Parts: sequence; C-alpha cells; structure tokens
Amino acid sequence: MLAGRRISNRWWLLAALALLVGAVALGAMVGPAGGIRSANWHIIWNIRLPRVVLAGIVGAMLSLAGASYQGVFRNPLVDPYLLGAAAGAGLGATLVFAYGRSGTIDWPIDPLPLAAFVGALAAVMVTYSVGASFGGTGLTLVLAGVAVAALCTAVQQFVLLRNSDVIEEVYSWISGRLSTATWSDVRLVLPYVLLASAVLLVHRRHLDVLRVGDEEAATLGADVRRVRLVVVIAATLGTAAVVSVSGLIGFVGIMVPHLVRLVFSSSYRWVLPMSIVVGAAFLILADVPGRAFEQGGETPIGVVTAFLGAPMFIIILRSKRKLT
Amino acid sequence: MSSIGFECLNVLYGDREAVYAFTDQVRPGEWLCLIGPNGAGKSSVLRAIAGLVPHRGTITVDGATLAARSPRRRAALVAYVPQAPLMPDDMTGTEYVLLGRNPYISYFGGETKHDRALVADVLQRLDLHEFASRRLGTLSGGERQRLVIARAVAQEAPILLLDEPTSALDIGHQQQALELVDRLRREHGLTVVSAMHDLTLAGLYADRLALLHQGHVVASGDAAHVLRPETLSEFYGVSVSVHHEPDGTVVVVPRRAPVT
Amino acid sequence: MKRFSSIAALTALLLTAAACGDDSSSTEPVDGVPRAIISLSPTATEMLFAIGAGDQVIAIDEYSNYPAEALEKPHDLSGFEPNVEAIAALEPDLVIMQDNKIQEQLESLGIAVWVGPAAASFDDVYAQIEQLGAATGHIGEAAELVGSMQSDIAAAVAAVPTGAAELTYYHELDPTLYSVTSSSFIGEVYGLFGLVNIADDAQPGNNYPQLNPEFIVEANPTLIFLADTKCCGETPETVAARPGWDAIAAVQNGGVIAMDDDLASRWGPRIVDYITAVSAAVAAAAVEA
Repeated sequence: MLAGRRISNRWWLLAALALLVGAVALGAMVGPAGGIRSANWHIIWNIRLPRVVLAGIVGAMLSLAGASYQGVFRNPLVDPYLLGAAAGAGLGATLVFAYGRSGTIDWPIDPLPLAAFVGALAAVMVTYSVGASFGGTGLTLVLAGVAVAALCTAVQQFVLLRNSDVIEEVYSWISGRLSTATWSDVRLVLPYVLLASAVLLVHRRHLDVLRVGDEEAATLGADVRRVRLVVVIAATLGTAAVVSVSGLIGFVGIMVPHLVRLVFSSSYRWVLPMSIVVGAAFLILADVPGRAFEQGGETPIGVVTAFLGAPMFIIILRSKRKLT
Repeated sequence: MSSIGFECLNVLYGDREAVYAFTDQVRPGEWLCLIGPNGAGKSSVLRAIAGLVPHRGTITVDGATLAARSPRRRAALVAYVPQAPLMPDDMTGTEYVLLGRNPYISYFGGETKHDRALVADVLQRLDLHEFASRRLGTLSGGERQRLVIARAVAQEAPILLLDEPTSALDIGHQQQALELVDRLRREHGLTVVSAMHDLTLAGLYADRLALLHQGHVVASGDAAHVLRPETLSEFYGVSVSVHHEPDGTVVVVPRRAPVT
Repeated sequence: MKRFSSIAALTALLLTAAACGDDSSSTEPVDGVPRAIISLSPTATEMLFAIGAGDQVIAIDEYSNYPAEALEKPHDLSGFEPNVEAIAALEPDLVIMQDNKIQEQLESLGIAVWVGPAAASFDDVYAQIEQLGAATGHIGEAAELVGSMQSDIAAAVAAVPTGAAELTYYHELDPTLYSVTSSSFIGEVYGLFGLVNIADDAQPGNNYPQLNPEFIVEANPTLIFLADTKCCGETPETVAARPGWDAIAAVQNGGVIAMDDDLASRWGPRIVDYITAVSAAVAAAAVEA
C-alpha cells in the first residue's frame, strides 16, 4: 500500500513536469512578435525566453518558500512574505526611487534590486531576533513579523508622502513585474534560488515531523529551533532574490502549495518538489495573457495573479468543507 | 530493559513549584503510575522526563543523566504519548507511525527499507494495518490512540511515558489500550511511567502507584497500600469506599451521602 | 537620473548598421538617420514633430496627443508598462523613452535607445531638443527651434512691467491640493517672472508638498494656477466655491488662471505657450495691484 502510493505520486510528478515543459513551450511560442521563426529569433531569445525562464524561477521559488513557511509555522495561511520580507523589500525599493537615483548613476550595479534584496533580508532578520527574544515560537515570530511589516510600511508611506512624484513608479514596482526580464536578471537570481531550493528540499522530511507540533516533534528527536531557523533563512534568501528582480508578485506562494496538497498529497516530501514544478508552470502560464494579447502595453503579472487568487481561494475553501 | 532514577526533581513554572524534590527509582520493566488530583504535578514529571520542561535535580536512565543527551538520543530512549496528541487530519496511518523512526534517520537522509518494514510490522502486530493508508481525520478516537501507541513502539525506546492515555476513550477502548500497553511491555521489556485519573484502572495495570499532591509524593507502593479511603479522602477531597476483589484487584467506588 | 547620451545612440545606430549581418531584422537605418522611431514620451513626441522629424516616427505612446498629425500614427503603446516584445516587433531603429526601464532589453536587440527624463531646468530642455536633432538628422531645425523658444520666452518676460515681482502664487497639481515648490521645473518657469511660491516653506525638503487649505487661505496668493483642469475639471468657479477660498486675493481679483494640464506637465516646445499665458496673467495682476 505504501509502495502503491509512492508509485502514483511519482506518476503525478512526471505529469507535473510534463505540464512545466508544455508551459515553457507555450510561453516561448506566444507573444506579440509572433511564433518562433528565424526572423524574430533575436526577439524570442533576448526578450521572450529570459522572461519565460525568469517566470519559472520566480514561480518555483515563491511556491517553494511559501510551502516551506507553511510547514515550519504549521499554518496554511502563510505566504513567503510572512516575516516582513515584502514590506522590507518595498521599503528598500521606495528609498531608492525617492532618494537613490541621482547619487547612484555611476554605480556599476543597479541599486534597485540590491536595495530590495537587502531590505527583505534586514526585515526578516529584525523579525527573527525580536521573535526569538520573546520565546522564538511560531506565534511570536509571526507576531514580530506583523510588527516589522507595519513599521516598514509606515516608513514607506511617510517617504512617499514627502516624495509623491515617485508614487507611480513605486506602485508599479510593488505590483510585481516580469516585463523587464533579461538574461542578466536570470543569472543574478539563479545562485540564490538554487542554494535556497537545495537547503529546503533537504529539510522536507523535517517539515513532516513538525506537523505534529513543536512539542511532540521535540520528543521525536527533532531540533525544532534549528530546523525553523534554517528553513526561514533559506526561504527568505530565495524570496529576497526573486523579489529584487520581479517585485512583489502575490498569491503564488500561498496558492500553489494548497493546490498541490489538494491534488497530490499533504506530505512535505511531495509538497515541496511538486510546488517547485507546479509553481514554475503556474507563473509561466499566468504571465502569458498579460503580455501576449495586449498589443500596446501589458498587464503586470502581479495583477493577473491577484485576479486568479480570489477564485482559487474559494475553490480551496469548498474542498476543505468537503473534508470535514 | 531500562531503569529510571529521579533525584530531587524540581519543576518550576515561573515561580510556581509544580514538582518538589521528587525522588524515586523505577526498576527495569516496572510500570509506575502517577496518580493525584489535577495540578498535582503528574504531567510535569512526565514532561520533565520527555525534556519538554526545564527542571532542577537529576533524571537518569540506566544511571546516565538524561539531560546530557541530545534530543535524538533522548528520543531513542524515551517515547512520549501526550494527553492530547496533535494528529494532522490528512496524514496517513503509515506516515504517522513512520515519524517514530525519526531518531534513527540521519539529518539529511530518508527512511530505509528497514524503517518501512518495521513500521509495517508494528501496524500489523497492533492490528492497525487497515489504517495504513487511511487518513487520520477519518479514524475514531480509539483507533487514533492506538496509532499514537504504535508510533511510540516504532521509536523502539525502552521507556514509555503515557499522559492520561484513557481520558478520551470509552470503557471498551480504555481496556483495549491498556491491555495493549501491558502486552507490549512484556513483549519488549518496556519500562512504563503513566499518569492516570482512573484509580481502579491505575491499580489494575500498574505495578506501583505514587500519589502526588501539590508536587509532593504523599504515598507510594502497590494499589492496596496507596488506595485507602482515608488517603484518598485527604488528598482528593473525595468520599469513596475501597473494595478488594478475591483476585487482588482494588476497586475504588465513589460514595454518595444518602439524600434526605 | 540622466542617462541620455546622443553619442551612444549614434554609435548604436552605426554598430547596428555594421553588425546586422544575418538576422533579417531591419533595424539598420538607411543613411545613419533613423526612419522608424518609436516615441514613448509625450514631450519627446512634441519635440520630434517640432523639429521636423515627424515622418520618421512610426508609433507613439497612448498619452502623446500633440500635434494633431502625431495622432495619425498608431498611438496605443504604453510608456508606463511597456511591452518590449510588441515594441520590438514593430522593428524600430530608435526608441525614445522617459526612463530606462526597458533600455537594457532593447539594446540587447541592437535597437538604439534615447532616454529623456523630466527636465529640471531650461538648459535640460534645450539640450534634449538639440540631442534629438542630432539623433534624427535635424540639427539645423533643432537649433532654430531652441533659438526661437529662447527669444519668445524673453519677449514674454519683457512684456511684464517691472514691479510685478514679489507677487505670490499657488500652483495646483490636483484637487487634493498637491503643489510644487520653486525648485521644480515649473517652479523655475514662474521664477522667470520673479513670482514667489507660497509652497516653498510648507514642507522643507519636499518639492511636491500637499498643502493644507488653511495654509493657502492664510498665505493669500495673488495668483492661482490650476494644472488640474483637464484631469479633474477644476475651474476658477469651482475654486471660488471652495469654502473660505473667496477670501483669497487671487479669487477676488480674477487671478485664478486655468492652465492646460499637458502644458504644465511637459517640458517641450509648448512650454513657450505656457510661459505666454503666465505672462498675461502676471501682467493683469500687476495692473490690479
């Protein structure tokens, strides 16, 4: 019976991989410049493909981070921005838009992704140290995250009020965008994402142990504090990296793990790898309507995922009702 | 089989002393049952052994201090069945029992064939194989209780701690669970420490009882010695009559003053 | 952030011409002069048509609305959320933008790019016009345009009698009372006439403060310039109807001037029109005073 279940889950994983391959193919073939021909190959290679690849990486990382956070905090409503990463990144980006552009013209690197990355990491670090000083349980960390996010948002609002000419740019960045994707963005995030994914995948068995609660997990020999710390660090690192190039794309990190649990299994040894594959396919497909069908401009990906978010939550709600 | 030693065990919650200078020696293979009113400190003793609360004083297993062990090593020595185990609804029976193998699986590794075979065997022996692929949310209280015990068995730990193992069960399942524990104790040579409210059942299954009151041991010994009406009246504030069956069973019966 | 460089644009054009061997993208201009320009900046669009480069333009953004001939070109591109693929598919040889969001991507396709951010001074305006002239092969027309703008502006300033200095003004960006200080570009325009901006000390350090109505009434400006007439329907009448505002000198003396939103927010050739309107308003107010 155990063996039978494993075989069927492996089959599903293969199906998910096929879906991903299909999504990449579709993404590569559809766009305002038309299907793949030698005439527009340079557009496909330089503009469309980096975007498809980046969408896959971002979708995979956000879904994996979301699933990991859900495991380590034992809360299905958790997303990868939980501990203040989003608010910190937003604040970093806002500061650059408001104050950083003129002073950093001659920098060899773009200050914007750097500020977002540093902001996300700094916010989570503050959250973790505040939460740990109050006991370090899941609940105190979440509450500390709420406080840190509120503070970052307040500072951000204050800065925007005094620099209202950048409000549009900041809003655009916050909505999440893949429209400026280049191969150098892909190269920039890939090392962090690969490292974070490797660490998280290695810990999926531990997330299953944590499902019975901190106390029982400890009596089963788990080092709960250490697992939580490592998972938070890895998930945050990966999230900060993708947020720095794509802004705050919402809903992916919370929806995809739920979708995976609904269809496949609730065990983290499957949810984590599945979330990677399904998350990548999901964002690649979600990016298509925003860029391929509008001829003049595009709808930012963050808006599309937000539109998809509401009905998906309702579907998840209904399925949960059937179980109880 | 392993022995457990307690030397001046103190458990403090803030400034409230839950357990005071608890000293005892549990022989290998013995079943010690802690009884006492609510708040007497029974659970606290168990939680101290399980490493869930900080304590002063020493707890030793086979002479070696338990606190000096790593969590994994401790989990291989002590299996803890909590009063209200958290059982995720969509976990299967096998996945749940497999958690008991955690102390033996390396940090970066996964379960081996041996682990899986052992779990399948445990499920079989505890008559739980039909729940192997069933989700915990679809099982009854009694079936879930047996799965928690199965998980503890899968831990292959010589010491078994049971915190109120029967409080959520009907009388049939209570007997079933306790019979199972006793059978496992004899088959595997387990040393059992439990905390129980039902005095008759405690006397029926445990080798020795220890009555705790406000963190102190006020009586210790076999059922006949500890379960005396005047003792119970003093520390539980209850009015009972105690009957001794021919086979030695001590039955505690609550008494009511006649209604005039 | 000023990243425009006409040298880079021209170099890119030449390199494109040299390097586009085997891919059949037609981004090579015929004689070094771009013939397929896409403008994503309404101000740049106005500049291009004013220097005679209009027929080299193949598409403009959705907010480019002047001159009328510009609207004959396809004008549904988004400058704010640009679709790089769609832009590239039109096979431009020069793309003009207000920020460098998609610059890297376009350059990776070998498409020349020119970035003209919002001007901070008149020098910026003239420099941008000259650079566009160089980039599009209209150096002469560009120089002419700059010259005529400078003389027109000088005339407008001279038309105002001396003694008009020290009049105070309030420039309204939107009905929620966002304003600008004199350090902004439009503030410099008013500065030509020696006008004093009431918002200058409102929030030190903030060039776009949101003013408090009490503050405005108390400051009692002689002139109020409305830059929210097209977007939000504000007129001298609606302003006069605001509670407490009838006490303001500008309201009482007909000093509330409705301006064109587009003119107020762009920094192209039509800034001259804006300055002329300001000149008339200042002259009228000086007579009143």
